[in-house]
Amino acid sequence: MAQLTSRERFIGTLQRHEVDKVPLLNRFMGPVAAKLAPIFGATGRELEIKLGNDALMVQIGINAEYSHKVVPEGAVYTSEWGVKYQRVHGFNQPLEHPLKEPSLAGYVFPDPHLPSRMTEIREVMDAYHDRYAVVVDLSCTLFEAGFHLRGMENFLMDAYENEDFMRQVLQGLADYYTALGVHAIEQGVDMIRIGDDVGVQSGLLLPPAKWRTLVKPHLQRMIEAFRRANPRILLKYHSCGDFYTIIPDLLDFEVDLIGTMQPCGQLADPFRIKREFGARVSFLGGLDVQQLLPNGSPAEVRDGVRRVLQAYAPGGGYVFMPAHYINVDVPLANIWALLQALQDFRDYPLQAA
Amino acid sequence: MLLDEIARSVSGGQAVQTSRLVEQALADGLEPGSVLNDGLMAGLTVIGERFKRNDCYIPEVLLAAKAMHAGMSLLRPLLAGGGERLRDKIVLGTVESDIHDIGKNLVGMMLEGAGYRVIDLGVNVPAGRFLAALEEHAAPVLAMSALLSTTMPRLQATIAELEKAGVRERVKVLVGGAPVTREYAQRIGADGYAPEAASAVDLVRDLLAPAPTV
Repeated sequence: MAQLTSRERFIGTLQRHEVDKVPLLNRFMGPVAAKLAPIFGATGRELEIKLGNDALMVQIGINAEYSHKVVPEGAVYTSEWGVKYQRVHGFNQPLEHPLKEPSLAGYVFPDPHLPSRMTEIREVMDAYHDRYAVVVDLSCTLFEAGFHLRGMENFLMDAYENEDFMRQVLQGLADYYTALGVHAIEQGVDMIRIGDDVGVQSGLLLPPAKWRTLVKPHLQRMIEAFRRANPRILLKYHSCGDFYTIIPDLLDFEVDLIGTMQPCGQLADPFRIKREFGARVSFLGGLDVQQLLPNGSPAEVRDGVRRVLQAYAPGGGYVFMPAHYINVDVPLANIWALLQALQDFRDYPLQAA
Repeated sequence: MLLDEIARSVSGGQAVQTSRLVEQALADGLEPGSVLNDGLMAGLTVIGERFKRNDCYIPEVLLAAKAMHAGMSLLRPLLAGGGERLRDKIVLGTVESDIHDIGKNLVGMMLEGAGYRVIDLGVNVPAGRFLAALEEHAAPVLAMSALLSTTMPRLQATIAELEKAGVRERVKVLVGGAPVTREYAQRIGADGYAPEAASAVDLVRDLLAPAPTV
């Protein structure tokens, strides 16, 4: 068999074929990447590639301005969404939300049609798309984006007290991200990643019935628009935490990939999840970042990597990454153990348990 | 029973209705103290128990707390000491470098609902501020939250600061937050850990209970 490109490997596994090996999409927090950069002699996307990643992500939208915008420590800035942030210990903390009252009167959503929003996507496409899958990340798309505009507690209570207002906010966000996603698809990208962190350690942030009436119809509309723009576009849904309850809803839309499969609550057993849903969807993530990666021994990390591969990878349909970014609390020895375990265990045919 | 109705109104998260019922109870001549204990707090206890059983969702707890506050604002001027004669004080906050607050806020709401006086220092609280607040308010309990595995070590660092300042002996330290486990809490020498907000109330109650005399 001719050597697969990373892009072929990534797309092949999502078609639930056992390709040559399990594709990778490891993500590193800035300070971790800075530690690894001199060791591997590369930064940014080149570092990710050196570490074996098969897909490259470009994040656009409210989350890009929030979690990925770097400003000096202590600096205060107001985003184009009208959210005021302050950088505290390397994180941009929301200080003020634009929708103080449950009303959209006077609020203008940003313009999704600005050509500059596609600049980075085009650069990545030109430089890498012949070899690597390109994923555009619109996550923090609806429900979670509402937290930025309205404040988390207020928006959660709006689901009960101000349903119509909440619907309008979600509609505005869905319109914005639909347009943005369609523009990205027109650039020829392989996958659109959408989603919100609706899961907590055990279960959902809000009742499934509320999610189904308030959020799900917008998701459906977005996905239909993306498929109209390109029937073969791959779709990924992202949520942290335990979102088991809504997986069947996501399968209604025939999403291709779900993650991050944080092993908590009803997602704790990856073998069960693969058995239950693996015929209809592929998985990304699954390795524990809350205990195992920061606090486990290198031997335990190695076992953990092997176990998620054994659970999720049979028959294809799995992209490996930890259940979130690799953060600064992960000892270098555990990062080496993770990379070594991937080298030893991710080739198909998989080694027997 | 009007008090039962108030409790149901709080647990159902109905702020406007709760205010109306509390006004009615006061007009009927009911004791403010019993409206507080048997109406408002009883209602929040119900929602807390449901939350503990995984039988309700975070926004429902937020709404119940909002309803309780609506009732409390009517009662506070009528309670002896303006409602300050509540149970023990608890200093609460999210540790330094960590800006997550909803879990910490839920703990605060549950503790207030159980009658404790909560001194909420907010998020990104350095050890020194916890220490200063514990001393200023002579609070017997410190409750700290960390949502990130990267900020969890601040829990331990703060406990070490309490030791250094010589106040560790008189303060019960509670810890919680998504990545925190019972084992971790034990390892860093905390006095208690609760996996969710409602259990924090039981924990405080147990920790502050006078030691049984033999």
